[in-house]
Amino acid sequence: MSVDVHSWYTWAALFVTLTAYIIVAGLRKPISFLPFHTPCNKVLANVSQTTRLVLVRILRQGHIPAHISFIMDGNRRYARTQHLKATSGHISGFHNLTRVLDWCNALGITHVSVFAFAINNFTRSADEVEALMDLATNKLRELATKSELVKKHNVRICVVGNRSMLSEEVQRAAEFAEEETKNNTGLRLNICFPYSATDEISFAVQKVAEDVASGEVRVEDVDERVVADRLRIKSPDPDILVRTSGQVRFSNYMLWQSAKHTHIQFIDVFWPNFSFFHMFCILVSWQLARSQISYRKA
Amino acid sequence: MTAVVWFILLALVVVLVRVSGYQSKWKVRQQLLDGACAVVLRSVQLAFAVHHSFQAWVQNSLTQAGLDMQELLQGDDTEAVLAKRQQLSDLLASLPQRPEHLAVILPEVKVRENEAIGNMLAGEVDDVEVLCAWGLLAKISHMSIYTRDDSLSRTFDSIAGRLRNSKMVARAFDGRTPNICLEAKAQVEHICAHSDSSQPDIHICLWSRDHGYPSIAKLAQELAREVQSGALSPTAITEACVANRLQDLRGCKHPELVLLLDDLPCMSEFPPWQLQNSELVQIGSGERSLGDAVFRALVRFAKIEMRWGK
Repeated sequence: MSVDVHSWYTWAALFVTLTAYIIVAGLRKPISFLPFHTPCNKVLANVSQTTRLVLVRILRQGHIPAHISFIMDGNRRYARTQHLKATSGHISGFHNLTRVLDWCNALGITHVSVFAFAINNFTRSADEVEALMDLATNKLRELATKSELVKKHNVRICVVGNRSMLSEEVQRAAEFAEEETKNNTGLRLNICFPYSATDEISFAVQKVAEDVASGEVRVEDVDERVVADRLRIKSPDPDILVRTSGQVRFSNYMLWQSAKHTHIQFIDVFWPNFSFFHMFCILVSWQLARSQISYRKA
Repeated sequence: MTAVVWFILLALVVVLVRVSGYQSKWKVRQQLLDGACAVVLRSVQLAFAVHHSFQAWVQNSLTQAGLDMQELLQGDDTEAVLAKRQQLSDLLASLPQRPEHLAVILPEVKVRENEAIGNMLAGEVDDVEVLCAWGLLAKISHMSIYTRDDSLSRTFDSIAGRLRNSKMVARAFDGRTPNICLEAKAQVEHICAHSDSSQPDIHICLWSRDHGYPSIAKLAQELAREVQSGALSPTAITEACVANRLQDLRGCKHPELVLLLDDLPCMSEFPPWQLQNSELVQIGSGERSLGDAVFRALVRFAKIEMRWGK
């Protein structure tokens, strides 16, 4: 089939295709695919921003999940692909987290949980663990005080996990972030750090025993609801669990909450590359599956 | 003609706006925009649904063109079938890693009846027979088969009877009768050829929701009683303590591979404590048979890398 370069529709089709590519590429990747800092970058950034707003509006015509949970996997592998140190991958991951929170807030999602650090991540090299703890300390304080997201959108930060395993400095940063945002009424951000689901369930079982011993709960009344109320994460069960990097396991994350009727999505992209395009596809898939999930819950 | 149609549509919109009562222009614009966005969303959802159906159709076409796993165990023992069976057995033995404990999540009865996944699955007793055969072929020592509504326990005797006389299971075990331990919540039965053999060739557990959340709640109640009576201190309730109490008395590990046989990627209240380090493979209605699904899951498991947090 030959292409008639003199006809207007050929050029129109090329123009539309190019525009669509630029918009999709801008959505899939932050606007850095153009090698030079040109004025076009600003225009394209505005086009991407507008397109995102339109897509958010489209999504909001359907049901929006109340709670979405992320396993932010792939930061180190992302850093390796960019020939950077692992710490740079974690920093890129943090920046992408702030973008994702922005999207979640725009969509009207009220609870977001993120798996920042697992208890068995302490087995990593001492340098990496120390770098991660320093990053956590700085970023928690930054999020609580300087973040546009927290100030503008009233985000409440909760650091969930076995804090006795953290150094005093990190514990203080976590307490500071929670204290600064405790009165905020917007999106609730659960930062699971350091966390494991089995530790959380054991903690809940211990708490049940303590409450029974103190007379707060009768031993005959102990059931699933009593245990669930004592879990560390004080949010409803997640509607969607997303794990990036292509790994297909839970890695001991939110097992009690996610093993029920959570829509599980494993995405084969590193966390720093997780884009609004992926988010859009996940939400549309969930909206399609929602009626089946409700039927099975009944 | 086109102009007439456009005029009618425009008139309809004007009438709707009038009928809805007086509203500011901005509000009307917002409503029209929301309406347009709703139409776009429905179109996108339709496109996604069509895409998923197309993918399932492609998968189904590909598996039809490939080897029929089920026939290798159900068909007559001709020379060709025996040779292929041996080939398959060698292939499975050559996989770099195989799970010691495989868990399979079967959809509950009401889901099977209503959804496309029912095409891949036969009756529950047949499914357990096929899974047992595949477990023996792949030399998996422990298999847990989960249904949320505990329907498998109700057919325990039928399952035991089927496994006792199953030709498919014998074919999978090189023509011999294997030693099978079949266990449900309140029943255990040893289906063995030789009673002096203590170690089963395969241990099949029939799990339900009761093995998960209610078990943890029951454990919490027991521990609370012990604390109340002074036999235990609350600080002694650690993760190791809970893990020891929840552990299967036969000492089997948590499942390394969980095969979810459902189009919907949800765990159907599978026992949460068991999922700690499990790989999850979801096989939907695109597969032609249960045997194909198990084979694909084992091949996928063979390629994964466990990093254990490092």
